[in-house]
Amino acid sequence: MCAPSADERLRNSFFKTLIDNQVTVELKNDIQIRGTLKSVDQYLNIKLDDISVLDDLKYPHLSSVKNVFIRGSVVRYVHLPHNAVDVTLLEDATRREAANQAQKAK
Amino acid sequence: MSGHNMAAPGFGQHHDPFADLSKYDDDMDALEFEDGYDGLGDQLDETDDALNDDTFGGDEAFASVPVGKDFDFFGATSKVTNAMEEEHARFTRQQPTFKAPVQHAPSAAPAGYGYASHAYPPQIRPARSGYEKYQEPEPELKVDASIWGTAPKQTATPTAQPAPSAPSARKFMSLEEVEASLRAQATRPMVTQPPQAQVHAQQQFQQQQHFRQEPEIQPPQARQPAQAQTGGPHGHPITILQRPSSKHAAPNAPSPLSQQHQPQPQSQSPSVAPTQILQNPNRASGDSGRVPQQPAHRHQKSLNQQVQAMQPGQVGNLSEQDKAAFLEAEVRRAKRNHKIHMLSRDNGLMTPHDKSFITRIQLQQLVSATGDPSEYGTDAALNEDFYYQVHSSLKAAQRPNPNAPLNNFAQTYLFQTGNRHGGMRRHGRGPENHVQRMEQQVQRAVEAAKNKPKNKQLVIEGSLGKISFSNAKTPKPLLNIKRTESGSEANRPPSSQRPVSINDRKVALRAIEDVYMILMKMEDHERTMPPPGANPTPEVQQQVAEWHAVADKLNNQLWDALKIHEQVGPNQVHPFITFLSHPKGKKAVPRVFRVLSHEQRTTILTLIIVHLDQLDVVQGAQVQSGEPINLSAGTRESIELFSMAVMPQLFNLLADAELQIVTAVLGIIIQRLNIDTIARTRIGISMLTMILSRAEIIKQAGVANEQLWQQWAATFNTFFNHLEPTLSYIFPGTVTSGEDIYVWQFLAAIGIGASPDEQQRLVLAVKDRVMDTVAMAKTLPADMGKQRLDNVNLFMRSIGLDVELLQ
Repeated sequence: MCAPSADERLRNSFFKTLIDNQVTVELKNDIQIRGTLKSVDQYLNIKLDDISVLDDLKYPHLSSVKNVFIRGSVVRYVHLPHNAVDVTLLEDATRREAANQAQKAK
Repeated sequence: MSGHNMAAPGFGQHHDPFADLSKYDDDMDALEFEDGYDGLGDQLDETDDALNDDTFGGDEAFASVPVGKDFDFFGATSKVTNAMEEEHARFTRQQPTFKAPVQHAPSAAPAGYGYASHAYPPQIRPARSGYEKYQEPEPELKVDASIWGTAPKQTATPTAQPAPSAPSARKFMSLEEVEASLRAQATRPMVTQPPQAQVHAQQQFQQQQHFRQEPEIQPPQARQPAQAQTGGPHGHPITILQRPSSKHAAPNAPSPLSQQHQPQPQSQSPSVAPTQILQNPNRASGDSGRVPQQPAHRHQKSLNQQVQAMQPGQVGNLSEQDKAAFLEAEVRRAKRNHKIHMLSRDNGLMTPHDKSFITRIQLQQLVSATGDPSEYGTDAALNEDFYYQVHSSLKAAQRPNPNAPLNNFAQTYLFQTGNRHGGMRRHGRGPENHVQRMEQQVQRAVEAAKNKPKNKQLVIEGSLGKISFSNAKTPKPLLNIKRTESGSEANRPPSSQRPVSINDRKVALRAIEDVYMILMKMEDHERTMPPPGANPTPEVQQQVAEWHAVADKLNNQLWDALKIHEQVGPNQVHPFITFLSHPKGKKAVPRVFRVLSHEQRTTILTLIIVHLDQLDVVQGAQVQSGEPINLSAGTRESIELFSMAVMPQLFNLLADAELQIVTAVLGIIIQRLNIDTIARTRIGISMLTMILSRAEIIKQAGVANEQLWQQWAATFNTFFNHLEPTLSYIFPGTVTSGEDIYVWQFLAAIGIGASPDEQQRLVLAVKDRVMDTVAMAKTLPADMGKQRLDNVNLFMRSIGLDVELLQ
């Protein structure tokens, strides 16, 4: 049992709050998939439900796919819903993590 | 039995071909078991029985070839059975009255008891409602009775070969015949016997405890005579082998013969002894004790059926009405038995060990999913998962119990699991304790795992370096740089030592971060505030005192970090003003104000007023009248942020301020600041509006005394004099820019407080802008034009005029 690293923890913490929100995942092959975030793990593997592909004319093979599991390494961006992110809180959380890490480094 | 599908007809039934041999018990002439039995059966070598499937066609054959109907003896016979039953039903209905005696005659039973049951299948028939499957074997019994009169069961079963020979009235079988009948049973007896034998041992045990709730089951003693009588004259010769069959070898059988008979199972040849030990349920413990239970259930079923089949025998003597009632009761009982059977079918599949094992796994998963329950709402949880914890607590702000701090999460899962168990099993303290113990255990385990120092490096003696462990979660660090204490000090010199660097952006940002850290500490500390009690005990008082001590300490830290009282040279910007020049510094103000005392807030207000012209939102944000507004996007953003974050705080503070303070603040502005600079900025104008309107409100409330008013009036007059030259330049941009509402507000604030003389000067100064705006409003669409006029009217009305008058 090993504690996850600080940024991992923060990421985890952050994405947990986004679960069941609509996000758009932009892959490194330019496909953009919008769907309901179901889970995110330490590798930023992402599970989406009720997906729709933004440029579905270009990717018709995805039109019948309802949910996807995306390997974290192929994700370029995750577009987040603005109102689901508490920026101030996130800043504070980041400060805490930084402080925790600084403490551990000593 | 491995090769047989138990569900297939003919294989599932536990038919015992020797079942009714006990009927012979009271026939004294018959061979006694001991006499005929040479114990050879026990010497059989059964070690390679497992290979029987190979020999006779086992799994493979069954797996590949579908079983034909050819061997479906049960199905075939039951067709005939049904036909016969129908015939019977018809017959009995036609002649219900004398039917019974007729059937009794051959039985020769003294009381028309027991055997007679087989004579009345139609009475059982209507009782079958939806539970036919369960009562499937019944036809066997009935058919036997009707055809052979004496040989229940056997004809109906697939392995019925010995049965037809049975009624041939031969009393005893030769050994060959017995063997032949055994062979006819093929693989079945070999496998089924052991469980049955076990059942025998267990049956007594079960009857004592497990099935006590089924009062309908007649004790074996009661049944025994009936069967014995039934089988009496027509008995079958296979008595010898009857022993392993459980139901008749019940203890305390009344007939003397069966008493003799009964000890046999226990006193057989010594070779059997080990088996018996295994069969003893009292010795068997844990898993091994459990195994036989399944056959036991199955057996129980057939036992019930027998009882059911037998009891209706008494019905023969009852009236029609009673019969109906009896049958109804019978149906109910059957249903109930069936239900009990269904429910108890899987009883005892898992040992307590298994259950606790499963529970432990589940709890562990819960713990890993939700974290250690004990740490919820604690600093640890907040440290580990701050964003999520707070975010979800904020989202769930309107949850029913606001006292529950941050987390109800673990309670929902882990703790309620315990409660649920407890509630479910109120009688047994065992499981409850069990789960509690488990929880504690898991907690301890998690705690231990956490406390275990994480050895990320291994230093092997004599080696030249360290070996780092790595895994997916913590990759091996390629660089392992440890910052020394001195290094960090060098990086972060206290600003008092090097005042030169005070304007250094990095230092300023670092200072802001420090403030945030202290703020967070204070907010954390706030959460641990002891709840206010009506009559606090000394202990609580002590806690409260300690809490306040810490709070004060943190407050002092924050105050120091804000550097409010820092002394600066004439050409230096005050650190707090630098602080405010950064967006995140501005954002910190509301949080800072929340935790500061009123006095401290007033100090900050004063400080901001004093350095108003140095604020970034004032210094670089002057606008010129008559020219297009050319502020950079960054400056606009700063102004926006400042009016969102800082101004409301100052406004709230001023809204409670006394007239003296308001006067003093305005005095400071006059004395120390360049009013022209301030008045040309949006923030500056807003600040002045705030001050002037506060004074006006106090005036209208009429609470201040005369002396203070005179002071205020004097200050105001001085201010007006200073402001007058600038008045015509305070409008931002051209008339068309439409960003001048705050100026009209400001003018209105001046206009209200101004003397008639000042009002006149005011009108003169801004007359051009008023006329231009009114003229321009006419060219605009109605609603936009009206909005402009309304803005102007803010000012016009304050001096008792209206734009209407100008048109």
